[in-house]
Amino acid sequence: MLYYFIRKLLAIIPMLLLISLIVFVAIQFSPIDPINYLASPDMTANSPNLQALRQLLGLNDPIYIRYIRWLGNVLHGDFGYSIVDGSSISKLIAMKLPATFEISLAALIISTIFGIGIGILSAIKQNTIIDYLGRIIGVIGISIPQFFFGIILIQFFSIKLGWLPVGGRIELGYRTWWDHVPNMILPSLALGVSMTAALLRYARNSMLDVMTKDYIKTARSKGIPEWKVYIKHAFRNALGPTLVILAFRLPILIGGSVMIEAVFSWPGIGAIILQGVSSSDYPVIMMTTMMIATAMLIASFLVDLIMALLDPRIRFDR
Amino acid sequence: MAQQKIKKSSLALRSWKKLVRNKLAMLGVIVSTLMIFASIFANFITPYDPSKIDFTNMAKPPSWEHLMGTDKMGRDVFSQVLYGGRVSIYVSVVGAVLGSIIGMILGGLAGWFGGKIDLILVRTSEVFLTFPNMMLVLILVAFVGQGINNLIFIFFITGWMTPFRMVRNEFLSLREETYVEVCKAFGISNLSIIFRHILPNTTSPIMVATTINIANYILQEAALSFLGLGVPVTVPTWGNIMNAAKSIEVIRNYWWLWLFPGLVISVFVLAANFAGDGLRDVLDPRQ
Repeated sequence: MLYYFIRKLLAIIPMLLLISLIVFVAIQFSPIDPINYLASPDMTANSPNLQALRQLLGLNDPIYIRYIRWLGNVLHGDFGYSIVDGSSISKLIAMKLPATFEISLAALIISTIFGIGIGILSAIKQNTIIDYLGRIIGVIGISIPQFFFGIILIQFFSIKLGWLPVGGRIELGYRTWWDHVPNMILPSLALGVSMTAALLRYARNSMLDVMTKDYIKTARSKGIPEWKVYIKHAFRNALGPTLVILAFRLPILIGGSVMIEAVFSWPGIGAIILQGVSSSDYPVIMMTTMMIATAMLIASFLVDLIMALLDPRIRFDR
Repeated sequence: MAQQKIKKSSLALRSWKKLVRNKLAMLGVIVSTLMIFASIFANFITPYDPSKIDFTNMAKPPSWEHLMGTDKMGRDVFSQVLYGGRVSIYVSVVGAVLGSIIGMILGGLAGWFGGKIDLILVRTSEVFLTFPNMMLVLILVAFVGQGINNLIFIFFITGWMTPFRMVRNEFLSLREETYVEVCKAFGISNLSIIFRHILPNTTSPIMVATTINIANYILQEAALSFLGLGVPVTVPTWGNIMNAAKSIEVIRNYWWLWLFPGLVISVFVLAANFAGDGLRDVLDPRQ
């Protein structure tokens, strides 16, 4: 197990290096002067001699040295500065990340419970009304634009029924964490819909696949109660492939947050990226993306670990 | 030779018959085809110019004259939806087809030659897949700018990975087949074996992947233009029509401005997904 763990961990490092290299090269090729994002704005404004500052920052060095130095800065948490308003990118990310993390996690929980739950139920009750409903939810969920679903939710729950706020993260008079749960509900639902559908379709298929296996027949013929066959024998084996898809589809959640944050005026990473793209703030875009890619890699690493815990065959497979 | 041709057409015929029997898939094919034709022949269906501003008819709800109402500048929403379909469908179909072609070529090369080429291409595709697709698209928008052709370029740059992996995996298994050995023994060149003898075997999964990609690109174009980063606002596309619904005032008071285009997008994507799922069932021999 430890061997497996270390091997997986080591496999991430070249990916991270490659991603950082791409990010670095992309910023180099963008039409901006590197001095504007490497030095804080008051430093460039107060420096009488920009040429000397350039020398000091090492901008005249060969590109590979600059890359190594930049990577060192990034590892120390110095992500450079926004070229539009000069704010520190690490601070910007640290400030907005919790908001995105909040709705992504909520969406993940919603979609895992509903997606896997309905998918499994759909497979058990194959070709009944429950199954048809499940399949309809599954295909509509991947076909409806997320922002359109968000707008429908706003129109119905906020404007017509007046139950939930139309947007924003916290209302006035915010006191405890619970006070902002109402604001989270709609964005998380809208964000989770396509993930729910994807998981539902996959969980149904893999459950159906497992149900035809011989060990299910054996379990049944031993006289084990039907529900126990489903839960202990079928579900556990169907969960593996579904978890892989979960990890594989995590990017959908983060990508979707850009849109959902715009619809619900949610102040998260998506909003930063959007602003970055419309004002050509390349360092901001690239650094946020790099953070997200890193988070994705770590998440898939965690899923690998869970898979290995669930299925001993994976651990020993070299 | 003639024998072979008959056999080929009968296989296609059998697949076609299977597809016809799959009601949902057929529905998907019919609905999406109808919508494509409605967009192509938009000028015969609606008398209104989608970009004609009419200040006497501002923000009117749906009526017989204007089936989907008019927007805040008096433009007919129904004709905007029809003409918008042209651009949205064009962008996503061309993007998906180009992406599949690139994916097939790279997948063929990687699967056939293996070794370093394979390693580099697989790693690259992994890096592409690590970035959330929407982010990747946004980064590219920041670098190449907005526009119809730019969007097509972005779509095929971000959409080659799935076809690539499919073709590569297919090649890895087919490479060992006897008929490939025979081809080699006859001295047929590598490129000819790749493109004429192995690649045709991968057509069916690629067709499915392309259909599903078209559906995804329709959604992405809509999302990007909704955010104001897709096709320039002056060109009507499905996403650009929805762009109005960014303000809460439009959501509250002018439901026809977002409900109709949203439904049209959903129906088209739904139809494409049904068609794709149906194609998969028909073409996958394991089912």
